[in-house]
Order: sequence, then structure tokens, then C-alpha cells
Amino acid sequence: MRVRASIWIALGLPLVFASPPASFAIEVPIHGFLEVAGGVRLQDDPAQPEDATLGEGRVQLEVSHSWEKGPKVFLRTDFIGDAVLETTKIEVREVYIDSPPIPKVDVRIGRQILTWGTGDFLFVNDLFPKDYLSFFIGRQSQYLKVASDALKASLFVEPLSLDVVAIPFFTPDRVPTGERLSFFDGLSGRIVGKDADLTLEEPKETFGNTEVTLRLLGHFQSYEVALYGFTGFFHSPVGVKDPMKRVLFYPKLNVYGASTRGPALGGIANVEIGYYDSREDRAGRDPFVENPSIKYLVGYERQPWADFTLGVQYFLDQMLKFDRFQASLPPGAPTRDELRHLLTLRLTQFLRYQTIELSLFVFYSPSDGDSYVRPSVSYKVTDNLTAVLGANLFSGGRSTPFGQLDADDNLYLRLTYSF
Amino acid sequence: MRKFVTPLTVLLVPLALGLRPSPVGAQTLSGEEIMKRSSLAEFYPGDDMKARVLMRLITKDGGERIREMTMLRKNLQEGGDQRYFIYFHRPADVREMTFLIWKSPRKDDDRWLFIPALKLVKRIAANDKRSSFVGSDFSYEDVSGRDVEEDSHKLLREEKVDGKDAFVIESVPKDPASADFGKKLSWIDKVSFIPLKEEYYDRRGDLSRVFSADEVKQVQGLWTITKRTMKNVQTGHRTEVTFQEVKYNLKLSDALFTERYLKNPPPEAVR
Repeated sequence: MRVRASIWIALGLPLVFASPPASFAIEVPIHGFLEVAGGVRLQDDPAQPEDATLGEGRVQLEVSHSWEKGPKVFLRTDFIGDAVLETTKIEVREVYIDSPPIPKVDVRIGRQILTWGTGDFLFVNDLFPKDYLSFFIGRQSQYLKVASDALKASLFVEPLSLDVVAIPFFTPDRVPTGERLSFFDGLSGRIVGKDADLTLEEPKETFGNTEVTLRLLGHFQSYEVALYGFTGFFHSPVGVKDPMKRVLFYPKLNVYGASTRGPALGGIANVEIGYYDSREDRAGRDPFVENPSIKYLVGYERQPWADFTLGVQYFLDQMLKFDRFQASLPPGAPTRDELRHLLTLRLTQFLRYQTIELSLFVFYSPSDGDSYVRPSVSYKVTDNLTAVLGANLFSGGRSTPFGQLDADDNLYLRLTYSF
Repeated sequence: MRKFVTPLTVLLVPLALGLRPSPVGAQTLSGEEIMKRSSLAEFYPGDDMKARVLMRLITKDGGERIREMTMLRKNLQEGGDQRYFIYFHRPADVREMTFLIWKSPRKDDDRWLFIPALKLVKRIAANDKRSSFVGSDFSYEDVSGRDVEEDSHKLLREEKVDGKDAFVIESVPKDPASADFGKKLSWIDKVSFIPLKEEYYDRRGDLSRVFSADEVKQVQGLWTITKRTMKNVQTGHRTEVTFQEVKYNLKLSDALFTERYLKNPPPEAVR
């Protein structure tokens, strides 16, 4: 009965809000979308009692207002009825205020989505929080990014710009926690789902734990060059605080990096590098905390023919102090590779005046022997209505990043009405 | 009074372009010179420009889709480098998306796309200028102009189009792989040098697309195509474009055409 009620809410919620381009008396236009989305597992997952991976009705509303030569305010909120978790919730995606226009400086305060770096679904110097769970179950790609409650100040002196972001409240990445998708629990050495019992301990909300990150970006003719710095925490729980009580935590992290992007070989090429200084295990002797590492990314994208895009990327994650990591492992403990190689492929073809989009994105790691394939077909039924059919297909060993989701392959359908 | 103004402008515009005031004859200009002037007249008028652009994408059966955008253009040199800034109003799913193009003759454009929901500045590969612009019958090259030197131009004849005297020019790509047409015929207005009509033929020699300037008028003394159509005669699909609220010489700053404003366009630039 409860399931039925939630489904009703999931389907009915969009109807309640279905009043396209409405406006307030003060002429603040409302935009957004209504969406119904469903997804199912393509095989049984022994760790998950339910077949549905996605089942939700979502209304996104956006209002904004700029005063003449004054500040700008912006609000984007989602109203969600979730039939899989049997919940309804309101999620404020973004709410911020922009400083009045002044030469050379922009300031934005509030909940905001932040993005930088050159990768395509791969991140080296973008340490803003991600929602991989949404990504893996077929929500819109905008949900891969999680907003940060932050202050951002930008300074522009042509051809350079400097962005400084302070994030006082830690936001971790959202990863499968067993509730909807299963994952490999390294402490117990098995795949866990609804029975997951790990505790994730977040950093305390103190002034000293404020994350600070910056980017210096320069445009030189057709090329962009950027330097990055970050001080804060890993956003995934790569530290074990107490293996007996099964408590994981987010170790302290500094990152220093650089990137460049520009035309090459008839397309666009990008190179990015980041040194991950794992501050709680710089020596690499603690097997319970992630070692320092260097991450390298090279990418290339071009259009071999009209309305077709081809993109390839190579990502390398090199663990530093690898010998010490190995020496520190207890006898019989599973080890890891020093080098993790990851390749991606993107193919996008538009058809019928760009009303149909065929898309394929593949992650493949030769070192882990796992892969993640994201095919999708998108059809714009009208200017306002879009239907997307897609799948998330994982394969590989059960302890590999993508292979652990092997039993969670899913097929999804989304219908979105934008206004 | 009105009657008097028109012939006067007809005389003044060629003067302003540095031409002889006498009727421009076939003997005085080669096909290439005509196309160079036509390119300047169509793609470079004013130091800068702002317009609200409405595109209607119409299928053979009459199905219609709308693209509405504010387009800003700035010339860095006449006939040389240009900057374009495009802000989308419609359709709803791309609303507030912005697009920046740095265009240089004889070189691939630099293109950046900003996706607001992801706050992502994406660099777009621009080696294929024949890709459709936002799903319309216009390619990127049609929107910002094809380099005149990429084709060989021949003046075929002169004839009237809708009562206007025009040069008829045949253009053939020097490198066949650089274009999706094998041949193009252009009817260039002898007064304004605006193309009144274009016919694109595919490599087999069959007519593929037809362009027509449906309304040409002067805005701040500059000839402007305010209504145009591109029809794909092979599929029956066509795109009708209206330029509204056209303004020239607004003294747009160079800074407007940078990543800062791509991510955060000032209201006065997009209204």
C-alpha cells in the first residue's frame, strides 16, 4: 500500500505543478521542467530485494531576478516523489546571490554548482562534489554535480582570471551505499546491498575544516592554460578509521594541478595533471589511508563528419610510495595495482535536424579489467518534450570500481517536459 | 520625400564603400571581387551588431520548432577576425545556454558552449563547419560566412531578381572536401551587394538547398537581411529566420566575448 502511494505521488506530483510559464505579480518568470523517470535492473541482484533502480516524478522550478546595476538572486529547487525509496523530498539545487556588476570582480555567495577542469566525465582538479549514484541510475547528467554551499570570488585581468572558492561545509560525493545499488565492501570482502553496515564519518564542521580551492586561468590565442590548488578532504571515504567497528572517513587532501586545452590535429585536445597530497599518509606507510598519487589525463575530440562527435580520453592514476603501501599490508590482505589505466570513448550522432541524439559513452580500464557502458537514445518529441531511453551496463571483477556494480545493470526511460 | 531618399541612398552607399557612383558594371568587377564585397555586406556591417534572432524550423509536413536567441557580433577587423556571442531564449531545455565563437579567416573557429545546469564551459571541436546550426537548415558556415578565398568565383551574367538588378556568380570549392556543395549560384544585389538568392548544388549536380533574402532593409544606414529562408529541396525541410531589434555600432566591449560573460551574461547583453 505504501508503495502504491509513493508511485501515485511520483506520477501525480508533476501534474500538481503543471502550470507552464507561470509568473508572479512582480513579473518573475518561472522556468523548469516536469519529469517522470523509471529504471529497472536487467538481472537479479542477490543483495537487492527490488528490481526498480529508478522511479520518480520530479518538478524543477527556477526563478531569478537581476536588479538594474544591482545584485542578482537565483533559486532552483527540485520537488521529488521517489517510488523506489518511498519518499518525497524538496531539494534546493541552487540558491545564491551575485554581487552587483563591478569591473574585474564577480562574487557569488550561496549554494552553487561549481565545475572546472578539462575532462569529460573524468575529474582531476575538479574536487567539487559529484553524485555518482544519480549518474549510474540514469538521471539527467546535470545531477552528476552536487551543489556546494560556498563563497566564490573571481578576479578578471585580461587575459587572466582567478577564481577562489571557500566551502565551509563538507559535502561528500554520493556513491552507491547499498540502498539502491550494491557495492564491494573491502572490509568484509563481499558485495553488499541493503545489508550494508559501514559508518561514514564526515569531517567536523569547524572553521579550520573549510575547503579552499582556486584556479588561475589564462587564454592565450586559441589555448587555455590553468593552474589549480585545493586544500580540504577526499570526497570519497578512502580512509578506514576503525576496521572492527567498520568506520570509514574522508582523509585530508591537498591537490596541486595544471591543465591546457586547445585546437590540435583538427579537433580539440586537452591535458590535465594533478598531484594528490594525501596529508594523513604522506609516507605511504598506513594501509588504512589512501596513498599520495598523481593523476594524468589526456583527451581529444573531433567531428569527423557533420553532426557526429568522437571523443577519446586516457586517464592514469599512479599511486606514489607503492613499495611502502605493499610492505604495510597485513599478510593475505588484497593488494592494488600501482598504476590504474582508464580509457573512455564518446560517440554522439545527431539525426533528423538534431531531434534524435544517439550517444555512447564507454569507460574501460585495462588494468582493473572492468568497464562501464552508457548507451542512450534521445528524441525531442516537440521543443518542450524529450524522451530518453538509455542503459548503464557494468562488468568486471567484483572488487573493481565498475565491476562491483555488475549486478546493477539497468535500463531507464525519462520523459521531460521543459518550460 | 520618401521617393527622393531612396535613389539618394542608392548613390551614397556605393560611395561609402569606395565605389564609383555610376552603375556598377560587369566589366569593372570580377566574380571574386563581387563575392568579397558581398561577404563584407552580409557578415561585416557595422563595427558590431546585436539582434534578436527567431528561427522557425519547419518540416515537410508543417511541423514547427522554434529557436530564439540574442546574437551579438563584433568585428576586430573588417573582413578579418570576428567574435560572436549567442544567448538562447528558446527552446526551454537550452534556455540560458550561451555560445561563444571566435572566428578567424583561414583557420578553424574557436567555439565554447556554456551549459548552465552543469556550470560547464565546453570547448566544441569546430573542424566541421557543415554541422547544422542548432538543428536548422543553416550550417555554422552559413551563419558566420564562408571564406571567399576557399572557392573560385565566376561572373556568369546579370539578371533581375524580384525587380532588383543582380550579378549571378558561380562558386566552386577549390578543395571539394571543404564544402558539402559541388557548386553554388549566388544572385548578388548590384546596389547593396547583399545576396538575394543562393542555390546550392550537391556533388552530383542536383539542386540541394535554396537560400532567399525575403526582406532586406536599411538599419542605421546599413543593408540588413531581416528575413531569410533556407530550404532543403531534397527533404522539403526549411528554416525561416527573422532578425528583430537589429542595432549596429553599440560599442560592445571585447570583454563581453570572454568566458566571464559566457558563464554570467550581463542582462543588457541578452535582453
